[in-house]
Amino acid sequence: MNNDLKIVLFLCNWSPHAAYQRLQDTLAPLPVEIRMIRIPCSGRITKALLFKAFETGADGVVLLGCEAGACRYGIGTKVAQTNIEDTRGILNLLGLGEERLGFASFNPEQHREMLDYLTAFRNRIAELGKTPVEVASRAREVTLSPRSAAAISRAHNIYVCQDCGKCSSACPLALTGKEFSPRAIANAAASGNLDSPAIKEDIWSCLTCGLCYDRCPSAVSFPDFIKDMRCETSANGKFNAHEGFFHSLMRAMTSPKLPVQHWLGLPSDIQTDQNSKVLFFGGCAPYFDTFFKNHLGISTNTILIDALRLMNFFDIRPAILQNERCCGHDLLWSGDRDNFVKLAKLNVEMISALGIEELVTACPECYRAFSRDYPENGIETGFKVKHIFELAEAEIGKGAVGFSKLNRKITYQDPCRLGRTQSGCELPRSLLKRLNVSGFSEMRDHGPSSLCCGNCAWTGCDSHSKAMQVGRLKQARETGADLLVTACPKCQIHLKCAMEDPFLENEIGMEMMDLTSLLARNIEWE
Amino acid sequence: MRKEIVITGLGGQGIVLAGQVMGLAASLSDHLEASFTQSYGPEARGGACSAQLIVSDKQIHYPYVRHADILVCMSQGGYDKYRHTLKDDGILIIDQDMVRSLDSAPGDVFPVPATRMAEELGRKMMANIVMLGFVTSVTGAVSLEGMLSSVASSVPKGTEKTNIAAFNKGYDLGQAMLKARTKKAAARL
Repeated sequence: MNNDLKIVLFLCNWSPHAAYQRLQDTLAPLPVEIRMIRIPCSGRITKALLFKAFETGADGVVLLGCEAGACRYGIGTKVAQTNIEDTRGILNLLGLGEERLGFASFNPEQHREMLDYLTAFRNRIAELGKTPVEVASRAREVTLSPRSAAAISRAHNIYVCQDCGKCSSACPLALTGKEFSPRAIANAAASGNLDSPAIKEDIWSCLTCGLCYDRCPSAVSFPDFIKDMRCETSANGKFNAHEGFFHSLMRAMTSPKLPVQHWLGLPSDIQTDQNSKVLFFGGCAPYFDTFFKNHLGISTNTILIDALRLMNFFDIRPAILQNERCCGHDLLWSGDRDNFVKLAKLNVEMISALGIEELVTACPECYRAFSRDYPENGIETGFKVKHIFELAEAEIGKGAVGFSKLNRKITYQDPCRLGRTQSGCELPRSLLKRLNVSGFSEMRDHGPSSLCCGNCAWTGCDSHSKAMQVGRLKQARETGADLLVTACPKCQIHLKCAMEDPFLENEIGMEMMDLTSLLARNIEWE
Repeated sequence: MRKEIVITGLGGQGIVLAGQVMGLAASLSDHLEASFTQSYGPEARGGACSAQLIVSDKQIHYPYVRHADILVCMSQGGYDKYRHTLKDDGILIIDQDMVRSLDSAPGDVFPVPATRMAEELGRKMMANIVMLGFVTSVTGAVSLEGMLSSVASSVPKGTEKTNIAAFNKGYDLGQAMLKARTKKAAARL
């Protein structure tokens, strides 16, 4: 018997628990590897909770609930089924395999069946072996001291703050009515008042969109200041949105042995070449689609496929990294620098082993992480990092390429990580102007003044995020456009979430498409 | 291999220089025989002018072009005057904003926005260099390396970099256009 195996059993308090108790009372030979956790209802075990077990080293997880019709709360079993389905999808993408997550329902009298089920599950896990996930360190020491806070403030020019308040008057979060002020945070940091709520809480609300940096006359680098403060003040990062599911996912990906396989299932017409010196780095879109499948029904993976198709159009057959990990952007920006560095090293190691000279990505966050955050954290990439828009602009600029007529009026949402980093706001616009559409109009706030989609690094989401999203979508509708073009999968996720509001559906509902897809689907040789 | 090339345009467009650059590349870098004649009107600028170039791997006995393999037109006047010299399977290259081509040529016609591209690069004067890049790209009459060194040594000092950029711009357009044609032909099959 392999006592090393760890199997977590989430056991519903009602029918299955009665059966389980019977097994315990009769001293039935329950597998010793199973650690039972009693829960109120199988429907309460979210995707985040299911996955957290795997992140923290479980070899298998079982969720036992009541029969679909027998749920005490009505929909518990149905909710559990959906959660199981989505989490299994994620496990498959990660290469852990859906078999490690068991789900069954039992009536109180079915104790024998339950024993058989659990024994079989245990044997199956024993066959599969230990999980390839290594438990990522999560309990880092909090290092914020007056001295380290002062160093961070110095590094990002907090002391040159003139207290003018331009940041707070531009901050999109403050403008929704949230009690939040970049100026107040800067003041607290400059005066060394580390116990003030401005430091303790407000640094977690910041979107790090960088609009304040754009407006600041003293060039206080506020987003980077927030990033560093978060890394210093938290034990393992703070995350409120989606219960930290994506942070668990990213931490699990720091395990070198994890045989990630999210590139499986590429359409057959996509051409890749593993000997190419150019790599296409996809990012987390497949996970987003799986996680949000039953809620938003978004399809961000198509961005990756369209990006590959666009490269193929120009006869570029890039390599793809089969074992690709998340770039780690969200870990760094939510205060978990240690695991970010682990992920980054792992990525760079694997990419360098392929002999890659140029990395192309269609995700603004991957772009920013690889081109800026990796070197800033001491990880030298040794290859060139390019956004797909740079590649497209250069290739289209050579000429003889046109776009088929598209009978849509479009407007454009700038992703913060693209618009406010190296490439600026002009690059996507020059591409937008090449499109053959019936009209392109800008939203009221656009370009450098563009507004964030309401969330970053899955750190927090509240009514103010929603207010921002609704406001932004109203601006998009005001332009008269019928297609909202974005360039970041997260913008799509967040804006789509606001559109789910049944009361505002008609006011803010709008079709969205990534610029990469728009280019790839309409480009043609002249 | 023997190619008869005519470049025509207006005085001031750098037609003669373009012919000279190509001839230099052919003779100095590609080690071919080359002959180069030019004709221009009395005006310093604005009159019709042409450069006639023959490149060959054998001796050239007669320097004037009789049946052009490649005709490059950067003005309407030049097009009207020299169109008839082009062989049936010759390559016609025109500046699409300067020349209205009335007939659909029997061989390949390549419309190129050379002047517009040069303007976008900041100097209208470089239209001839853009055109040279394009001609090099689609005809292959002279080698790319030869043309690059020839362009760099023929343009005024200090403008090498911008001229090479202009040349590459034209070259890339040529490559893209060839690619577009093969892709479209493949799609039609």
